[in-house]
Amino acid sequence: MARAIKVLNLTYRYPDGTIGLNDVGFEVKEGETMVIIGANGTGKSTLFMNLMGILEGDGYIEILGSKLNNMNLKNIRREMGMIFQNPDDQLFCTTVMDDVSFGPINLGWGKNEVIAASQKALAMVGLEDYETRTSHHLSFGEKKRAAIATVLSMNPKILLLDEPTSGLDPRSASKFINILYTLKSQGKTLLIVTHDIFLAQEIADRVLVFSEDKHPVAVGNYKDILNNYDLLLKNNLIHEHRHRHADVVHEHEHQHGHSHKH
Amino acid sequence: MKCTDSLLERLDPRSKIISFLAIIFCMISTPITRLKDFGLYFLVILTMAFVSRIKPAQLFKRGVVLIPFVLFIAMFVPFLKEGHVLWSVKIYAWTFSVTYEGVWTFLNIVVKSSLSILLIVIASSTTTFSDFLKGLDLLRIPQLLIMLMSFMYRYIFVLLDEAKRLMRARSLRYFGHRYKEQFRVIGYMIGVLFIRTFERAERVYSAMIIRGFSGKTISVNYLKLSRLDFLFMAGTFISLICIVSGLIYKIEHSKISDTHLWHGL
Repeated sequence: MARAIKVLNLTYRYPDGTIGLNDVGFEVKEGETMVIIGANGTGKSTLFMNLMGILEGDGYIEILGSKLNNMNLKNIRREMGMIFQNPDDQLFCTTVMDDVSFGPINLGWGKNEVIAASQKALAMVGLEDYETRTSHHLSFGEKKRAAIATVLSMNPKILLLDEPTSGLDPRSASKFINILYTLKSQGKTLLIVTHDIFLAQEIADRVLVFSEDKHPVAVGNYKDILNNYDLLLKNNLIHEHRHRHADVVHEHEHQHGHSHKH
Repeated sequence: MKCTDSLLERLDPRSKIISFLAIIFCMISTPITRLKDFGLYFLVILTMAFVSRIKPAQLFKRGVVLIPFVLFIAMFVPFLKEGHVLWSVKIYAWTFSVTYEGVWTFLNIVVKSSLSILLIVIASSTTTFSDFLKGLDLLRIPQLLIMLMSFMYRYIFVLLDEAKRLMRARSLRYFGHRYKEQFRVIGYMIGVLFIRTFERAERVYSAMIIRGFSGKTISVNYLKLSRLDFLFMAGTFISLICIVSGLIYKIEHSKISDTHLWHGL
């Protein structure tokens, strides 16, 4: 499988000097789903901003075989879409259709092509009848789905999703995960940022763990990573707490299975 | 008050914008002393409300929301405008005088603004905001202005929600003491709201450039001027010409003359 994303020695500092990313390096293959997990403020969203060329750090970024630079930024953005954590940032037009068609229009597609791609994207996220709806009047779950449609309409090969299930109720989260499964089955490369390890368990081929010093500390098969409790505990992805099973009160870290030793 | 499938709803927003602006322009140009003309403008507006299936009660109910603002602006004019004194009252050392010129100016502001507000009510009831913006775009109104209106409409509620959350957070920790300090707190809240808005603007702009934005917003144009639009515009313009040229008075006058002639015979 060809390489979709390659990042080498990427470091980013915010204008005030705070480190956003510290010597980040990883690779993602085409068609692969990589979930990046890390506690709050570990630089996951900053990494996405760097991959999209919004922020410019020091290091090497390669997208679909081309080095990311100002010359080919537009071409790379044609192939890679990003879905923001807060859908209100992504849905800036007055109607859902205007938002979904914004990307294809700016890509210079013809009117019929734009309409067909937008309708297809809306159908894919189950919002067929929402074309004329105002974005502000949608529920949070609907906004999240509309936000993904705004990117799907451009038919990108790579999708970056920033905290896709945060703030969603279980049913909306489940709908969203189904959309991710569909995208995965279509061969899209998915890069998902989350601190929800259950989402990682559901969808990931590989998991990349970010430590609190903004540096990737582990990458590998989701089973190996998610069963490494020491690693998860050390990187603030699970926590120890006291709890009670009948008469037994004891302390242990959260585990993914329902049963554990007392 | 959204109407369903009324004549005005089926029209292209461009024809409505052009017609309504023409009416407003004619109203503004008509001297207030020609009060009968304003009665005729009112009739034209009522006819439009009728074909939009907006009941007069609904029309006035929505209009009344805005009219107090106009009254507030205009209420001081009769006292401030210099001219022939119509009525005056003395309260202690102050003398308040209402002038003829002031009353006419007051009427000028109130009548024209109220009729314009009624037109806005009809327009907003029969056109969605996005269609209105598309109409403006097709009429070659500057893009920057349209983008500003679009963002304002999209984010005003988001900002209001954010402001409400800040107010709620404050009220949960405020127990009614040290009220003077609350002004400082409100100042902080305004500052926080500004910073959050600025940060949101940056994120929105990022979302735009990621999707290929290069300074110009384009949307799918599905609007098309039909025969009905041209008929509507023609009807509006003919009505306006009749009112402005005083043709209706002439017809009325000639009828009276004919009656006199008949009696004479």
